[in-house]
Amino acid sequence: MRFLSDFLQYVELDSFLHRLDPRTKFVFFIIMSILTSFVKSGAALLFLFLVFLSIWLIGRIGKYMLVLANKVKVLLLFIFLLWLVLGAFSVHGGPLIYRTAFTLFGNHYVFSLEWYDFYKGAVYALRIFLMIAAFYTVILTTNFSQIILGLQSWRVPYAVAFGVGLVFQIIPMIVQEFATIMEAQKSRGLEVDKCGPLAKMKNYVIVSLPLLFRVLSKGHAISLAMHYYKLNFKVRRTSYKMIKATYSDVLFASATLVATVVTIILQLTYYIQI
Amino acid sequence: MNFKIENVSYKYSADAPQILENINLEIRPAEVTAIVGPSGCGKSTLVSILSGVIPTLMSKGELSGTVQTGENVMISVVSQTPENQLFGYGVEDALAFGVENLGLDSEEIHARVESVLDLLKIQHLRKRAVTTLSGGQRQAVCIASVLAMRPDLLIMDEPVSSLDPQGKRLIQSVLGQLRASGQTTVIVDNNLDWFSGIVDHVIGIDKGKVVFDGSKEAFLTRFDVQQQLGVLIPQEAEIYRVLSNRFADLPPFSTLEDAFEALRDRVAPNISGSIEPVESPEAPVLETRSLSKSFQDGFQALKHINARFSKGKVIAILGQNGSGKTTLVKHLNGLYRPSEGSVTYKGASTAGKSVAEISRDIILVFQHPEHMLFEENVIKELTFCARAQGIPFSEEEALAVLEKYDLLKDKEELPVNLSMGRKHLLTILSVLFSSAKVVILDEPTLGMDLHLRDQLETIICDLKKQGKTVILISHEIPLVFKISDELIVLDHAEKLAEGTVRQLAENEALFERVHIDLPPVVQLSKQLGFQTPACDVESFANAITGSRTGGAVLE
Repeated sequence: MRFLSDFLQYVELDSFLHRLDPRTKFVFFIIMSILTSFVKSGAALLFLFLVFLSIWLIGRIGKYMLVLANKVKVLLLFIFLLWLVLGAFSVHGGPLIYRTAFTLFGNHYVFSLEWYDFYKGAVYALRIFLMIAAFYTVILTTNFSQIILGLQSWRVPYAVAFGVGLVFQIIPMIVQEFATIMEAQKSRGLEVDKCGPLAKMKNYVIVSLPLLFRVLSKGHAISLAMHYYKLNFKVRRTSYKMIKATYSDVLFASATLVATVVTIILQLTYYIQI
Repeated sequence: MNFKIENVSYKYSADAPQILENINLEIRPAEVTAIVGPSGCGKSTLVSILSGVIPTLMSKGELSGTVQTGENVMISVVSQTPENQLFGYGVEDALAFGVENLGLDSEEIHARVESVLDLLKIQHLRKRAVTTLSGGQRQAVCIASVLAMRPDLLIMDEPVSSLDPQGKRLIQSVLGQLRASGQTTVIVDNNLDWFSGIVDHVIGIDKGKVVFDGSKEAFLTRFDVQQQLGVLIPQEAEIYRVLSNRFADLPPFSTLEDAFEALRDRVAPNISGSIEPVESPEAPVLETRSLSKSFQDGFQALKHINARFSKGKVIAILGQNGSGKTTLVKHLNGLYRPSEGSVTYKGASTAGKSVAEISRDIILVFQHPEHMLFEENVIKELTFCARAQGIPFSEEEALAVLEKYDLLKDKEELPVNLSMGRKHLLTILSVLFSSAKVVILDEPTLGMDLHLRDQLETIICDLKKQGKTVILISHEIPLVFKISDELIVLDHAEKLAEGTVRQLAENEALFERVHIDLPPVVQLSKQLGFQTPACDVESFANAITGSRTGGAVLE
């Protein structure tokens, strides 16, 4: 439970990354999302991974990224195998490991396993991981109050900014609720440990009902609280805290810019079309 | 400014039953008013009307009568679950949220945040994240965030229901500050025990009608009304209630000091509270040996706990939040696995068994009933454990239990629609249909009024008579001392003491160390020179009556 509660939420630390203006981190996230969407060069992605690694070490969030890697390992493995298998059914002309031809249901197929197929699987898995990691880096180092302030300063309507902040406030609560409900149901005799996959799935569905009630109840309580605090999206709000960029933000933004330029150069220089 | 409610009636829809009927009341300025009444009496609806939730957010009901609050009056509410109310990651963010909504300038916002931090003496919390605060601190921040908006009326809905003794003490102190500052406050709570010291005015509601409206002093002498409303009164007042039936000339009291003055001349020195039977130690049904638990983040939640739970005993585990109570009981039913040490049931280790398998012997009822309820009606919920464990039962048995605990009329009702106290009662009743010989109850009194607590006591006594072991976690210390045979005291992951209730009641230093006040009945019996302290009001009263040296006896 304690371990689970650390997942998918801000981690309270005093690091270079935590002290940055949230807008600087939003820009980093946007640039990295675009880069990982377009870059398909293994060398460029490897370089980006090293950049991320440096950022995680500076931000002292390395162990939380390991947790993330552990959580998404099945997804990454699936992506790797998917592109490996897809690649094996097309001929690229790269270094060959094994090739054969066969006919199935009247259709002719060529199975051609090349080193490029492994490369392609690894590239796609790394791209997805970096996409997720860029988002997670921001979430781990920016609390929801800072997210709201950052979005507001970009002239995002307060209703939208508040909604986004609320989502990040509520997600850990729901994760915690789900874990507690599972424990409560197991405690009164619901078997979810020693049973087949179908029975396990059925029992997880059973658990969803109290979770739904709890989420509805929390939603109701939050709407009441918004009323108690006189929250009215039509009325102009003021702010207790202000955010402003510092020398650290300039430094981080410059590093992001340099990393972007180097990544693009590596992409152009070492791109292998497969 | 006075807040007046005149002839207010309300129902949630045209064909729904009447929730409030012709309510007339007045909330006087700079006073603390308590609104009390049994579960489902209409207290929460009244709060919704006062705070404007009805009709602003809930406009479908039928509301009649007048609510006189004046122009531009600010009324704010502190709910029983601050985690659902606080918006903001840090304490400062949460404090500023309401004031920011008022559109005040930055200087004014800063001034107000500073003023509530000073008023409630919580400056040391200002840089903390809300999630890292204890329950009491979180509730204090919630109160401060509402006060920063400078409300004309502050309403608090069961603000300490889920707090430990330290948290309650913090909120008591906060309320003391508010009273001194002249804040008009309404506290809605059927447990008058913790805040009777600061209340000026009591309004009692039953079945949607005002049945009492008067001073606290007057309320504490109206035993019939207290009983009708199911209000939990301070134990000192309960002692007076019982003794006033036996002594004709007993002056009224509701504090420990007054009780001592009233009783000191009526008892002989060195009287005995009640004799503790000497029992030979028997083999425990459940035992932990050198049990330790460290979580993945390095936090050590339990350190070498050796504990024994005997057959047919009620054993309470005491300690502040974070002392390791819940972690310990989650090891007993297999939810957590020990980092070191073992848990044995009837001499055999529970390691390797699933939680569901262990639940056939050891069952844990969670603190919040909503985590457990999911069946479509009350009768199915009642028999859930039996069906999950394959234990035979008859419908007649189930109906008899529902009838005994006044739930028969709700047997087809969706369980989540019951009041909080009755939901909790239902989850506890469901374990009666399981095969478990050890029943663990985590904060079973949550949301219960006096009537439901009486029913809970009956259930625990019945389980004990059946030879079952009941393990209880509760912050309701007078109740713990009344119904428990043995206590285990935890502090910062370590076991400090284990023994019978009377043995440990003698150890004042132990309870001082864990910041838990001994029940008034124990403190009073010590002050009066009892050889062995009385642990409940009845045995205290019997000891006083048996040893009296003065005063006229009615019996």
